[in-house]
Amino acid sequence: MNTLIKPVHISLISLVLFLSASLGLANDEPSPEIPEGVVKLTKVDPARNVGYLMGDILDRTITLEVKKPYKLIETTLPIVGYEHRYQGQVSGIELRKISHTKKESNTSTVYVVQLSYQVFATAPTVKPALLPAEIVKFQGPSTSEAKDGLVQYRIPEFYFRSSPMAVFGAVKIEDDMSPLRQPLLLQAYPVKQKLVACLIILGLSLLGLLYIVGARAWLPLMGKPFAKAVRQTRKLSPKDADALKTALLSMHQAFNTSAKYSVFSDNIAEFIAQKSSFKTIEAEMRQFFALSHQVFFETHNASSDEAKSLNWVKSFGKQCRDCERGLKPAKQNKA
Amino acid sequence: MSEKKLTDWRQHAQKLEAEINKVVVGQQSPIRLITTAIFSRGHVLLEGDVGVGKTTLLRAFTRCIGGGYQRIEGTIDLMPNDLVYHTYLGEDGKPHVSPGPLLMSGENLSVFFFNEINRARPQVHSLLLRVMAERTLSAFNKEYHFPHMLVFADRNQVEKEETFEIPSAARDRFMMEIPILVPDDNAIMESLVFDTKFHNVDALVDSIQADVLQFDQLNEFSALLQARVDASPTLRQYALNLWRATKTPSDYGVKVSGVDMNRLVLAGASPRGMSMMMRAARVNAWLNNRDSVLPEDIHAVFHSTVAHRLVFSPVYEMRRTEIARELLSGIVNAVAAP
Repeated sequence: MNTLIKPVHISLISLVLFLSASLGLANDEPSPEIPEGVVKLTKVDPARNVGYLMGDILDRTITLEVKKPYKLIETTLPIVGYEHRYQGQVSGIELRKISHTKKESNTSTVYVVQLSYQVFATAPTVKPALLPAEIVKFQGPSTSEAKDGLVQYRIPEFYFRSSPMAVFGAVKIEDDMSPLRQPLLLQAYPVKQKLVACLIILGLSLLGLLYIVGARAWLPLMGKPFAKAVRQTRKLSPKDADALKTALLSMHQAFNTSAKYSVFSDNIAEFIAQKSSFKTIEAEMRQFFALSHQVFFETHNASSDEAKSLNWVKSFGKQCRDCERGLKPAKQNKA
Repeated sequence: MSEKKLTDWRQHAQKLEAEINKVVVGQQSPIRLITTAIFSRGHVLLEGDVGVGKTTLLRAFTRCIGGGYQRIEGTIDLMPNDLVYHTYLGEDGKPHVSPGPLLMSGENLSVFFFNEINRARPQVHSLLLRVMAERTLSAFNKEYHFPHMLVFADRNQVEKEETFEIPSAARDRFMMEIPILVPDDNAIMESLVFDTKFHNVDALVDSIQADVLQFDQLNEFSALLQARVDASPTLRQYALNLWRATKTPSDYGVKVSGVDMNRLVLAGASPRGMSMMMRAARVNAWLNNRDSVLPEDIHAVFHSTVAHRLVFSPVYEMRRTEIARELLSGIVNAVAAP
C-alpha cells in the first residue's frame, strides 16, 4: 500500500498542510490594533444586566462603521458553539446564533453583527458573568506595524450577573406551604395571545371552508342557482350590449342547474312536479319562456322595449329565488 | 299571398287531423307526426304490435290525401319485379304484362303502402331504397317518375320468424319511424272493443272525407313552407349540438342504464336524418301557427326522426327501442338551448 504513495504526493500533501497551518496561525496570532478613528462602534446590549438564569438568551447588536480601505475578514467573526473560557475555565456562556450584514458607502463600510448568547452557567449564589469580548480582524493597507495589513479590533465585553435557580439552603418546601401563599403561576399572557391568534385563524379557516362547501356563497341559500342568477342579472343595465340576452341566459342556466336537466316550455309541468314551490309562478314561467323564444328564436318578432323586458326578467329572477328558498314570491306586472 | 296560402293549408291540415281522429281514436300524437311527415314530404314507417290499427291509420290518411294509392303485402317470396309488373295469360290465351303496383298509377301515385315491410326480402328493400330516395324507377327501358309519392310502411315488431331486419340504409330513407301503442284510456279501450263502428274497417275508412288535401300541390306548398319558416342562429346551434350528442353522447354526460356509453353508438344521426328532422320541425312550427322554429318543435319530432337512424353495437340491438328512447331523452335533457 505504501508503495502506492509516491514522493510527489507526499510533497503536495505537506505543502497543503503547511499552507493551512500558516493561515490558521495568521488568524489566531494577535495583530496590531486598528488605528484610532478607523472604527466607530455602536452597540445595543441587553436591557438589564442582572437576573439571568440558566437557559436565558442574551442578544447583542454590534454595529461597526469602518473607514475604507479597511475590510472585515469575515472568517474572524466568532463561530456558533464556541465555548468561551475565562482564566482557563469554561465560562458557561455559549454563542448560539450569529448573523451579520454589510452596507457599503463611498467612504466607509457598515457591518451590523447580531450575536445571540445562551447562559449555561449556574451557581448557588449570584455570580458575575460576561458576554466575552470578541476580537475581529480587518484587512487594511500595509503599514510599518502591520506589514501584511492585518489589524484587529476588540468588541468590548458585556458584564452581567447570573442568578441561581434556587437560593441554596434557603428553600425547604415542607416549611413553606402556607395556604395564604398563592401557587406560583406561569406567565400566561403570551400563551393566551397565541391561543387567541390560533382561534382567529381557526375561525377564518372554518369560514373559508364553509364558503367553499357552500358553493362559494357566504350564506347557505346564496349558492343556489336562482340566487346566483339574481346576483348576475342585478348589475345588468339596459345600456349594456345584449343585457336582455345575458339575463335570459342566466335564468335558463339557473333553471337547468336547479332541475339537473334542460328545462323548456314543454317540460315546465315536469319541473313543477319536481319543485312544487314554483307552482305559484307557473304563469310567469310560461311568460319567461315566451320572452326567451322571442329573443332567441323569433328574432324578427323581438320586443322593442328591451329595458322593460330586462326589468321584468330581474323581478322574475327574484320570484324564482323566493320559490327556491321556500318563500311566497311577490306578484309582479306583465312584461 | 303566401301568408294566405300558409293559413289555408293549415286549415286543410287541421281538417285532415280532425278527420283521421274520428276513425282512429287515442292516437293524436302519431296522427300529428304523420301529418307532419306528409307536409315535409317524408316517408313513414309505423311500428307496433299486431292489431293496433297501423293499417287502418295509414289507409285513412291515404283516403284523405287523394291521388293514386297502391298497396302491397310484404311476404317472404315477394321479389322486386312483383312491385314493377305482373304477367298473366289473357283471355286470348297469350301471355300479357301489366304494370305492377308501383307503375299502375303513373305519376299520380301519391301513397305507396307497404304492409309488413319486414317480411320482404333484402332485394325488395334494395329496390325500395331507390324509389324512396329518388322517386324514380327504371323499367321497360323507360324512366318512371313518382314526384308525389310517399311510402307508408308498417312492421310488426313482435314476430321475428320469416322476417328480415330492415338495413340501416333503408331505415335512413324513412323520415319517421312512429311507434303505435294501444291507448291506455279506459273509455277509448272500451269504445274500440264495443263500438260496432270499429268492427268494419272498410266502412270506417270510407266514412271519412276523401281528398282533404290536393296531393299534386303538396310538393309546391312544402317548398314554400320550408322557405317561410325561419330557424334562428341559436336554434341552428342547438340542432348541431343535438346532432353531435347523437354521435358522442358520453361527451354530453348522457347515460343509459346498463349500457357502456363508449361502446353503444356505432354511428349517430346522418346529415340526411338531421335535415329531415329540421324539415319536420319547420312543419311542426307551421302547424302550431308560428313562423320560426323553437326547440320545442325539434323535441316534437326528435324521437320519431332520429331514433331509427342510430346504429348501435350489435350487443345492444335487441334492446334498440328501449335504449334509443332513453338515449334520446337523455340527449334532450342534457343539451341546453339557448
